[in-house]
Amino acid sequence: MKNINAQRVGCWSLLIVCLLTGLTSQAQTVLTVTGEVTKPLTLQAADLKAMAHTQVTGKDRDGKEHQYAGILVVDLLKQAGATVGGELRGENLTKYVIVKAIDGYEVLFALPELDADFASRSIILADSVDGAPLGSGVGPYRIVVPGEKKPARWIREVKSIEVRFAK
Amino acid sequence: MRYWKRSLVGAMVMAGLSAWTMVDDPVPTGPYPFHYPASFGSRFTIPADNPTTREGVYLGRMLFYEPRLSSTQTISCASCHQQARAFTDGLALSVGVHGKTTRRNSMSLTNLLWVHQLFWDGRSTSLEEQALVPLGHTDEMGSKPGEAAKALQKTKPYPTLFKQVFGSDTITDVRISKALAQFERTLISADSRYDQYAAGHYQLTESEQRGMQLFNRSPSPEQGVRGGNCAHCHGGAKLYQELFHNNGLDKQATDSGRQAITGLALDQGRFRVPTLRNIALTAPYMHDGRFSSLEKVLDHYSEHIQPSPMLAPELAGQPNGFQLTPGEKTDLVSFLRLFTDSTFIHNPQFANPH
Repeated sequence: MKNINAQRVGCWSLLIVCLLTGLTSQAQTVLTVTGEVTKPLTLQAADLKAMAHTQVTGKDRDGKEHQYAGILVVDLLKQAGATVGGELRGENLTKYVIVKAIDGYEVLFALPELDADFASRSIILADSVDGAPLGSGVGPYRIVVPGEKKPARWIREVKSIEVRFAK
Repeated sequence: MRYWKRSLVGAMVMAGLSAWTMVDDPVPTGPYPFHYPASFGSRFTIPADNPTTREGVYLGRMLFYEPRLSSTQTISCASCHQQARAFTDGLALSVGVHGKTTRRNSMSLTNLLWVHQLFWDGRSTSLEEQALVPLGHTDEMGSKPGEAAKALQKTKPYPTLFKQVFGSDTITDVRISKALAQFERTLISADSRYDQYAAGHYQLTESEQRGMQLFNRSPSPEQGVRGGNCAHCHGGAKLYQELFHNNGLDKQATDSGRQAITGLALDQGRFRVPTLRNIALTAPYMHDGRFSSLEKVLDHYSEHIQPSPMLAPELAGQPNGFQLTPGEKTDLVSFLRLFTDSTFIHNPQFANPH
């Protein structure tokens, strides 16, 4: 009898834990876009899912071509009010973007590298590879830089994008 | 061994005499000049409200070795951060003022100038903030807010020293932490045999050479390349990358680690990737001190990595571990021993001043 009770309690607590994690993960911030922007962004998974997606092809560490889908990084920057497009001139050309991962890894892009008026390649914040969500240790979001020979800037587990001025 | 015993006795005698605090006359003053190899880079920030001065470092060193900072007046920072052990204490878990053990292993204090997020879980973003934690923690120094400051205020030398550093003789916990932070920023280790090798002043033995190759290379069985890929996380001139990873100690982490700080499920069981500087001196290893020797650490990465969804991708990519041979383990250990910096552990500027 005691055992059954213990099992029931166990089931209930498991259910409560599942509900709680479900709720928190729904409301959890998954990406911030901050720094030299006019409208800093605090985005949840649903916000990113709703944004326009672009497909790119890129060669990962396995040496094979994969189809990645995700949001153009420049679209995120535009939404945050960073100086991209027509505003990317003068001192704004000394701006750079730091992308940070959950594990503490950081990589840098010069702002023009991400801008469609300057760069011919589309750098995206990918959320899927070959039609499937990114795996553990990689996703939920990863930067994909098509055509880059070494994928060291294909930063995994992206959590923030920050625009800074070189001083 | 005899040497260690003698220094231990010396340290105990010194601790007994610490009530007699001596102060240099005059105390050195002026901006503190940092010296470090160009390869370390200058990616650090010193808080604008706590510039590093010679007088600040002098005071910080006195405080670092000051047992009056603890509620029982028996434990100083140096109790758990001993210079001879590269500022660790040789214990799996340290013992606080009430005899209880700490939750995690005492961390080596080396090249902290460059560390942005301190503690095993990276919760503090400055040394100033960090120093207040062990000061007040019941299982460490156990001082109530203001208690240590009050104790020092009553002493002879400290009010004068605080005045020299901060412009007023009022002692506060924040000022104590600022002075400690200044001293800790000076704990630079850059003269190990590995540094000497990098500067072209030391020639590696054959075993060290093989160990270095294993350290730096990622294994590639198809191409017959053996490797431990250690440098992926512990590489660079400072021998660490500032990362937080789950290194597969347990299938289900018993300590949530960085998750408790960030609230992210992906951070479960993730801890700081520690520097390997002086690693041969800082046993036992891991956040809970579970491995008593470097050999046991290598056994872990070689054969005992536990899978979990949070496991670091570089380790998950080796589902059977790195499967190092006994000879390879010996070579790796001989390479790791090159990181011991005897200049650092014998530097009189870092020793007990009391």
